[in-house]
Amino acid sequence: MFRTFLSLRYLRARKTNWIGMAGILVAVAALVLILSIMAGFLAESRRTLRGNLADLVIQPPASEMLRETTGDWIPVKTDLDRLLEIVDAHPKVVAATPQLQWYALFAPDGGESALQRPMQDAIELIEIIGVDPESEEHATTFYDSLTIEPGKKPHLGSYCSVGRPSDPKDPFRNLPRGLRAERGRPKTPILVGEQLAYLWGLRRGDEISLVTATFDQESGELNQTGANDRFQVVGSFRSKDNETDSRRIYMDRRALADWLQKDRDWSTVLLKVEDYERDKDVVRADLWQTLHDEQFLHAPGQISSEFRTWEDFRRTLLKAIENEKSLMGIMLSLVLVVAGFTVFALLSMMVTEKRRDIGILCALGATSRGVLTMFLLIGLWEAVIGSAFGALIGVWGAINIDAIERKLSETFGYQIFDRDIYLFDHIPAEVTTSGVAWIVGGAVVSTLVFAAIPAWRASRLDPVEALRHE
Amino acid sequence: MIQIPSDKIVREIALSCTDVRRSFKVGDKPLEVLHGVNLELRTGERLALMGTSGAGKTTLLNILGLLDRPTDGQVRVEGLDAWTLSPKKRAELRNRRIGFVFQFYHLLPELTALENAVLPAMILHGRGAFLSRRKDYREKAREMLNRFDLGDRFHHRPSQLSGGEQQRVAIARALLLDPPILIADEPTGNLDSKTGERVLEILLDEQTARGVSLLLVTHDERLAARCERVLYMKDGMIEMDSSEPIPT
Repeated sequence: MFRTFLSLRYLRARKTNWIGMAGILVAVAALVLILSIMAGFLAESRRTLRGNLADLVIQPPASEMLRETTGDWIPVKTDLDRLLEIVDAHPKVVAATPQLQWYALFAPDGGESALQRPMQDAIELIEIIGVDPESEEHATTFYDSLTIEPGKKPHLGSYCSVGRPSDPKDPFRNLPRGLRAERGRPKTPILVGEQLAYLWGLRRGDEISLVTATFDQESGELNQTGANDRFQVVGSFRSKDNETDSRRIYMDRRALADWLQKDRDWSTVLLKVEDYERDKDVVRADLWQTLHDEQFLHAPGQISSEFRTWEDFRRTLLKAIENEKSLMGIMLSLVLVVAGFTVFALLSMMVTEKRRDIGILCALGATSRGVLTMFLLIGLWEAVIGSAFGALIGVWGAINIDAIERKLSETFGYQIFDRDIYLFDHIPAEVTTSGVAWIVGGAVVSTLVFAAIPAWRASRLDPVEALRHE
Repeated sequence: MIQIPSDKIVREIALSCTDVRRSFKVGDKPLEVLHGVNLELRTGERLALMGTSGAGKTTLLNILGLLDRPTDGQVRVEGLDAWTLSPKKRAELRNRRIGFVFQFYHLLPELTALENAVLPAMILHGRGAFLSRRKDYREKAREMLNRFDLGDRFHHRPSQLSGGEQQRVAIARALLLDPPILIADEPTGNLDSKTGERVLEILLDEQTARGVSLLLVTHDERLAARCERVLYMKDGMIEMDSSEPIPT
């Protein structure tokens, strides 16, 4: 009983012990806070980096022939309806939608302007995605990106008056008369990424030029007359992925095929599966084989870009954040070690200071194991109390980090987290019970390891030596 | 032939040591402090140990109190050879069979008088066992402290108590578990004569009332005179035993 009683009494009476506790508290709070934010970044990155990518993406070869693994050449099938039929037949596939993807130079001030800009960053290479709005709605987050609130732009002078399309179910409808040039036929409607709209100060109804190259369908030669046409901005979207939002334009798939004068009016098929984590590999394996048998794709695995998950597109970035998180965890664990050193130093001091008490306890019949346990318990209480409060503060901080950051930024007049260059418009944090448990457990174990050394020394003290009067 | 009073023979031996030697390493050479000491503390006896400083009294006391291991020789507590026992058993002997009163009181400064007095019981019992008996022990300690005129000092820290008061708390602590053996190392050595007298009175009264065997180390001739038997120590040897005829 004396172990618990005395350890608690010493803890309470010796205020220096509280320093050790504070050290553990700060270390645990920092670990919980920062690892939660990193986990939040990771989770948020997975969400936003995904942009409008679908679960699975099929990109058949653009060539006319497929090369079999045997070396034989066979013609590529390009029958979209047949492909969709195969894909839809798979029980795990929820929805599928075709897209036509192309690249163009973005030239808001007319075709020439695309090449006139002296600065490199003004030449804007744009993804043009031709979509079918009806089927796109079920397969990707396209529909959501048309309805989501525009991002907040905190600094003055930059505004976006494009706005969301009035009817997200039919986003490529021509604007009413008042909002478009009176003369001529209506231009092809497009949706621009929110960031692109901010960057160029676009407004709803603005006409912009897109410059691209087209190829002769027969010979495959570059057409001498480049395709260059005016389009009308009818709305903006926000996929949450900065990259996507600053370099993507949506238009109707058939309108795009028309403009490019292509026979094949699709290049990609996007799939949504029931449960991405569960089904991604199965569906890919099944469909890849079937589509190969039906002469749409090469043999499974032969050309990996023909059938990808969305993660494949963002692999490096996701891995980088994951690496950063684990590195951060390792580095911050050093804070725990420092806190452990504090406990070690304070307990060592206390053992020296309490030599006489240890001698008395021995004389009264305490075993050396009892003395060891007593000092270990002091370390344990420090660890438990320190890490419990540390975890509380860390969790509270993680939950309120966005508000805290705003308050701090306001107080010091310095933007700590710049929401302009968003990956995200808020500081994400994700507190997991297991993560917090690991940190608290680690804190307790490391403190006990450090407390064990002075505790062991205390138990080895010679009581006669300790009781010798000064 | 040495004459031993017949009433002493029937008495049992509470604490004894035979041929105890203790040497310390000083530099490279061992320095022997005790050169084969034989001592018997009989049950219920009041035995004084006197001697000049440096004679090895404290070393002998530490050995008899099982705090220090003799280099050679045996220590028996109620017949048990203490150093053949496990450390745990030895700790239990210290806890239950031997009560200590030190010259410098040696109370724990973070504990109140009452808590200090109850400490041996806390060491004896585990958590559950102690908590279920806590009331009894506290009652017992209170009763003793009351008897020692410390009724209004229960919740004072040692630093708030005078030397005499501290020593009385220490006596209460030593007696809490009713040990049959009491070892007191100059219990009044640090007190003025009046306070010392009161402490001594309590110590001797309790000893008589409980029939405890008391081994008392002292410099004080008058105190020694109140003991049944006196041993004189010199240069690591028991030189003279008052119960034996003075050698001619």
